[in-house]
Amino acid sequence: MASLPEPVSALVGALGQLPGIGPRSAERLALHLVQSEAGQVKQLAEALVTATERIELCVTCGALTETQPCALCTDDRRDSTTVCVVETAVDVINVEKSGAFRGRFHVLGGKISPLNGVDPEDLRIAQLEARMDGVREVILALGTDVEGDATSNYLAQRLTAKGVKVTRIAHGLPAGSGLEYADDLTLSHALKGRREM
Amino acid sequence: MHLAHLRLRDFRNYTRLDADFEPGFHLLLGRNAQGKTNILEALHLLATLRSFRGVGSAAMVRHGQPGWFVGGRAIGTSTHDVRIYWSSRERRLTLDQQPIKRLTDYLGTFRTVAFCTEDLTLVKGAGRGRRRFLDFLLTQTVPGYLPLLQRYTRAVRARNALLKRKPIDEASLDSFTAEVIQLGNQLIAHRHDLMPALAPRIQAAHKRIAPNGEELRVELIPSVKKDFAAELELTRDRERKHGATIIGPHRDEIALLLHDRSAADYASEGQKRTIAIALKIAQAEHLTEIHGAPPVLLIDDVMGELDEHRRQGFLPLLEKCGSGRGQVFMTCTEENWPHDLNRVLQRWKIHNGTLLPC
Ligand SMILES: Nc1ncnc2c1ncn2[C@@H]1O[C@H](COP(=O)(O)OP(=O)(O)OP(=O)(O)O)[C@@H](O)[C@H]1O
Ligand SMILES: [Mg+2]
Ligand SMILES: [Zn+2]
Repeated sequence: MASLPEPVSALVGALGQLPGIGPRSAERLALHLVQSEAGQVKQLAEALVTATERIELCVTCGALTETQPCALCTDDRRDSTTVCVVETAVDVINVEKSGAFRGRFHVLGGKISPLNGVDPEDLRIAQLEARMDGVREVILALGTDVEGDATSNYLAQRLTAKGVKVTRIAHGLPAGSGLEYADDLTLSHALKGRREM
Repeated sequence: MHLAHLRLRDFRNYTRLDADFEPGFHLLLGRNAQGKTNILEALHLLATLRSFRGVGSAAMVRHGQPGWFVGGRAIGTSTHDVRIYWSSRERRLTLDQQPIKRLTDYLGTFRTVAFCTEDLTLVKGAGRGRRRFLDFLLTQTVPGYLPLLQRYTRAVRARNALLKRKPIDEASLDSFTAEVIQLGNQLIAHRHDLMPALAPRIQAAHKRIAPNGEELRVELIPSVKKDFAAELELTRDRERKHGATIIGPHRDEIALLLHDRSAADYASEGQKRTIAIALKIAQAEHLTEIHGAPPVLLIDDVMGELDEHRRQGFLPLLEKCGSGRGQVFMTCTEENWPHDLNRVLQRWKIHNGTLLPC
């Protein structure tokens, strides 16, 4: 790469950390930003800061929220006897969009992955177990890659030992992918076709 | 199936190459180190996305350049445009102008079987090469085999990582063990299904090219004899000591026995080469049988090393693949072979990274 001024390459580096942004896009964005009107850039910076300050993770379920606990956890029209376990806070939004689930959520924060140094202790599993009072069914909606499968096995072991019914959404999802690739219809079929583990 | 057009940019010693190929038998002639094998390597890359030399993509960049491009137009039941670009910063694979995300969506677009000097390691080398031989065939003939193999490999690696840590997290280990068993059993079933069709083909090909009376036996020696779960349980102490999963389809072997003795240990160099060629002939025949059309054959230098009898045994496959809509590419330093095929030969002269008809 021809030498960019130091602040620009620092910006390229920061943008390149974002998901879906490769080195080329990062460079294009950075060069665009440094040549934009100062007011416009300030606005963007403020929007970034406000959003990150106002949004946090729900202490109960781990979803993105402005209030504690989140609306999904406090809405008493939702069924508290079923809990849907997902990997990420974004997965909550995907399942919500499908409209096929009206219970509570629990965000695990990832999946067990020995190759990436993620142990069960790194996930919100203890918090999940602590929520099991009055819960009849836990629906596992994790990705369908090897780690997602193994994590489902793991949770099924731990939760059934506590006397909870554990089901897993049907494998209508393409093998090896996460929920972000599933459209609403696929997701609601997957939820309806869930099986006991 | 044939390759109608090949385009290279900064690939090995080719700065630019654009060549049209008809179906039929192509002879690539040239002195040493001019770029004959490099062309075959590019063709094989279009089919398998990897080098038959077993090297990574960086090695194929023309010295001093940022990246290479290999493109082609493959004609089978339909016509497909394939483009591969690689640089240290960027990789791109498109099929008919669409980016390919999953390998399974691509494999099968263009099929090749390469005969090259490296094949000798199929006989001489470690079991990994022979497993790769099986996996190549299954990947090219069984839909879903490749993702299954990739999942299994990942599950075993994850499990090995858990086995290496002390103390072992038993609950996590169990959850990956279940995956290894479930995926492994599917791999085992596919390999068992393939062998009854494949072993006789290898033996028959060997009979055709080997001297009279030499008899090859080919057997799958599965690592798991009957019950993966139960046998895994039996290795409990040993795998903990090694910190690795020591049984499973990743430890399968194919025994190549010449008069009931291991060819790797007892066969002569010539006998080993004959067996290696028999393996590749069987591979080509199996693909032809399953897909109803032969793969494109890539034959690198192999012929020069064969005597008259073994060449004769090879001819039927060459005739079959080089006729109709099929295609064969063969490299030669001098034009000493195959005069028997002269009527249909299309000759090319390769000189210092250029290719011209002659
Ligand atoms: N990455 C690379 N960049 C530039 N040149 C390369 C690269 N890799 C290999 N070469 C050159 O390509 C030539 C070898 O090409 P190739 O292996 O196709 O030869 P060949 O014609 O098959 O020769 P032989 O008859 O000896 O097998 C050599 O001159 C080698 O230096
Ligand atoms: Mg060569
Ligand atoms: Zn919540």
